Amino acid sequence: MTKHTYLNKSIPHIDAVQKVMGRQEFISDIRIPGLLWGKVIRSPYAHAKIKEVDISKALKVPGVKGIVTAADIKHVVCGPFIPDWEILAREKVRFVGQEVVAVAAIDSETAEEAAALVKIDYEELPAVFDPEEAILETAPLLYEDKGNNIAYVFQTEQGDVDATFAKSAYIREEEFTTSSAFHGYLEPNGCIAKYDFNNDSYTLRVATQSPYKARLLYSQALGVDLNKLRLIQAPMGGGFGGKFESNLHLVAACLSKKVQAPVRIINTLEEEFVTATLRVPMKIRTKIGITKDGLIMAKETHVVADNGGRTNAGPAAMAAACYRQDNLYRIPNVRSKGYLVYTNNVPKGAMRGFGNPQGLFAVETLLDMLAEDIGMDPGELRVRNAYKNGEVTVHGWSIGSCGLPECIIKAKAKSNWLEKKKTKRPGGNKRKGIGLACCNHVSGNRSMLKDFDGSSAIAKVGPDGKVILFTGEVDIGQGYKTVAVQCAAEALGLPTDYFEIAPVDSQSSVLGIGSLASRGTVMGGNAVMNAAYNLKEQLLAAAGDLFGVNPDSLNIWKGVFVNTASGKRMGDFREVILDITNTKSGQPFVGTGYFKPNTVLPDQKTNYGNISPTYPFGAHVAEVEVDLETGKVEVVNYVAANDVGKAINPLLCKGQLEGGVTQGMGWALLEQIILRDGEILNRNFLDYKIPTFADMVDVHPIIVEEEDPNGPFGAKSLGEPAFNPVATAICNAIYDAVGVRITKLPVLPEELLAAMRAKGGAQ
Amino acid sequence: MRQEGGQKQMKIQLTVNGELHELEVPANKRLVDLLREDLHLMGTKDGCREGECGVCTVLFNGKAVNSCLMLAVEADQCEILTIEGLAQDGVLHPIQQAFIDKGATQCGFCTPGMILATKALLNENLRPSDEEIKYGLAGNLCRCTGYASIHRAVKKVAYGGSEEVQD
Repeated sequence: MTKHTYLNKSIPHIDAVQKVMGRQEFISDIRIPGLLWGKVIRSPYAHAKIKEVDISKALKVPGVKGIVTAADIKHVVCGPFIPDWEILAREKVRFVGQEVVAVAAIDSETAEEAAALVKIDYEELPAVFDPEEAILETAPLLYEDKGNNIAYVFQTEQGDVDATFAKSAYIREEEFTTSSAFHGYLEPNGCIAKYDFNNDSYTLRVATQSPYKARLLYSQALGVDLNKLRLIQAPMGGGFGGKFESNLHLVAACLSKKVQAPVRIINTLEEEFVTATLRVPMKIRTKIGITKDGLIMAKETHVVADNGGRTNAGPAAMAAACYRQDNLYRIPNVRSKGYLVYTNNVPKGAMRGFGNPQGLFAVETLLDMLAEDIGMDPGELRVRNAYKNGEVTVHGWSIGSCGLPECIIKAKAKSNWLEKKKTKRPGGNKRKGIGLACCNHVSGNRSMLKDFDGSSAIAKVGPDGKVILFTGEVDIGQGYKTVAVQCAAEALGLPTDYFEIAPVDSQSSVLGIGSLASRGTVMGGNAVMNAAYNLKEQLLAAAGDLFGVNPDSLNIWKGVFVNTASGKRMGDFREVILDITNTKSGQPFVGTGYFKPNTVLPDQKTNYGNISPTYPFGAHVAEVEVDLETGKVEVVNYVAANDVGKAINPLLCKGQLEGGVTQGMGWALLEQIILRDGEILNRNFLDYKIPTFADMVDVHPIIVEEEDPNGPFGAKSLGEPAFNPVATAICNAIYDAVGVRITKLPVLPEELLAAMRAKGGAQ
Repeated sequence: MRQEGGQKQMKIQLTVNGELHELEVPANKRLVDLLREDLHLMGTKDGCREGECGVCTVLFNGKAVNSCLMLAVEADQCEILTIEGLAQDGVLHPIQQAFIDKGATQCGFCTPGMILATKALLNENLRPSDEEIKYGLAGNLCRCTGYASIHRAVKKVAYGGSEEVQD
């Protein structure tokens, strides 16, 4: 493995100082002169016609500056995936919490007082909440012009599953139910919108995971050219998929235009449950056939997924649940079909893992069952089917590197797998068990981004010797900015404190697509690396002129220009930069770079095509303890082995693994959205239980580095693969402990207790 | 409806980060809003607004409190410490430095509250056990880190040394 100066280095986040000092300025911290406070009035009904909106009383409240309704907004039908968005509900509402009216006032109290006085006359309509009901022709129709409630259908097929199942030595088929979930970030979504009357333009200050996608949608929704819509990114207090294109931002923009003043709207936590585009809940029926030697021959998957009342990333997430796992192992015959169905529940969308955790729950549980059927170790079964570097999957994914076998072997060793599997279970009222689950993921998703996937960057250095990096990718707390700086530092030969990341502002930024599909390090890192190399080339040429030396014999190393031929120290970086920029009247050196990955838009019919430049893998082992009297499950030990290609920053990698495992444990054991007639009853942290410090999981992270030819310095991705297999590893461990096979999330103690009793006690 | 009593202005005197302030505030104003809006100390965050997440944590006469659940008038004649008051003369407090070194801050939104809660914990218990740290800080949520790095940061402050996580 190559030795690096600034990679494999556990440096702190480059903005850690601001964060610990409380100086990180989030959206809710921004104050500008004349800022008004906005409040959204939302529908209390899941499905209803809007008969009348009366804002007269509300307008009279002293301190109210204006109120915006659908009548004020030019009706544009658009959406990030399917055109079914309208900024404020016009004729009807389709989910509890849908935006109907917005008020702007001098302070929050006045806005709330006025909001309470807005009178909306609704006529309730029959509603439907179960996607398996909503899919029927008899169900109430959400969008009349669509004819039915099927928002999206995905299907794909390769090989001949039917013939192969007929020949399979062992087959397992089960139906799995995966739950919705709330992202649970602590910072509510918000926007500071400023409409400029003089040139019909907007400046929106937001924290979004994709300024690029958001700006495209917003310009369309607001009916303005892109160059009339400036998006300024603020630091984000957690995203996890819940802060992409947000209707809240559009409401703020329209409100600002209505009142001709800057407006701030920040969600309450209750509102956040409605607008965060919760994890897509799915019913997944999967069938897997293997040979007697444990080779996976066929996989068939059928999905019915709840889209909610309005579409965000549901289509792509459902597709991932259908077929992403086909590419985790060598599986020659596959078929999947998924239906994404409109219901009168809150909108669903992206959440860490993006359909893959759901699909893996099915696949990794079935493989566990099949391993037991043929009497093979579950880890061994996976290793037999793992890819080697350079193979191409059944859907045309080009696996440049696959460290899965190493992950499995190391995870098993670290967790004392063999010994724990052999140990007889003691008596008493607790049972321990150990379980394994694997995962794959992507580092970018070309199938979702029609025009291209990639990134660009600029590296600029002026007379002060500070290198400013312009990158269009965003840090959502995972540490992307730090990784970008380390990539640039490695390419340029400069210490990391020589660098600064420029703010992400559409007016001055370069293009990046955002923090989705775990693409930051690969796309952004590669682009920044290329820009840094480009800058270096220019600097060496100029330094060559200055020193009267051939640039080919110059290099920059740890902040010093060196002559590689003689080994002589030619000059300190900052001094040389000052000299070479002075000869050009202070003109900065500007390096540009981009990364164009070797991906294709998958074939429309067959879905075949390489959608990501690199693919990460992981193998996790969970050890649980089940209380036989209460059904409560505790994770007592956890080993997370992930193939990250190259660990640019091991400290940040550990952070992703520890955070991802804890979130996964929450999804498996603690978190449940409690619904009644489309209304979420537990819209707070008391009743929607995300893990607290007391639930801290003892995670042992193992970083596996199977360098990828397409990653920056070999790096792949980790954000989502840190989460993907967690819930399933825990469930496989529960089975090992008490012999109850979990096919539904979350694992509620009372349900596990009932299942254990039905089974007649512990093994 | 706006309550008469709620809008009644009251004079209060409080010390924030060592500085004495005299203010007139409505009786129903929350402490977190006094800190953020009146004193422009934005380090204290406003998150769940219900006392569950802990991002609004400040030290109130040395005790960790949820400032979103307290009225500003309750702080009359009291001492408040916010995140802005920790570093002295540009030198970070050991807790702040430990959070940096151990990667205990990712998005940073829980960080000010978590650091102050840590200070309150260590003020009462100089050498907390592993469990005492977990339960002592259980009132501060974090969705990014999984708490492990924060745990290591707290132990670093309490016990010093380089007790690295064995992998």
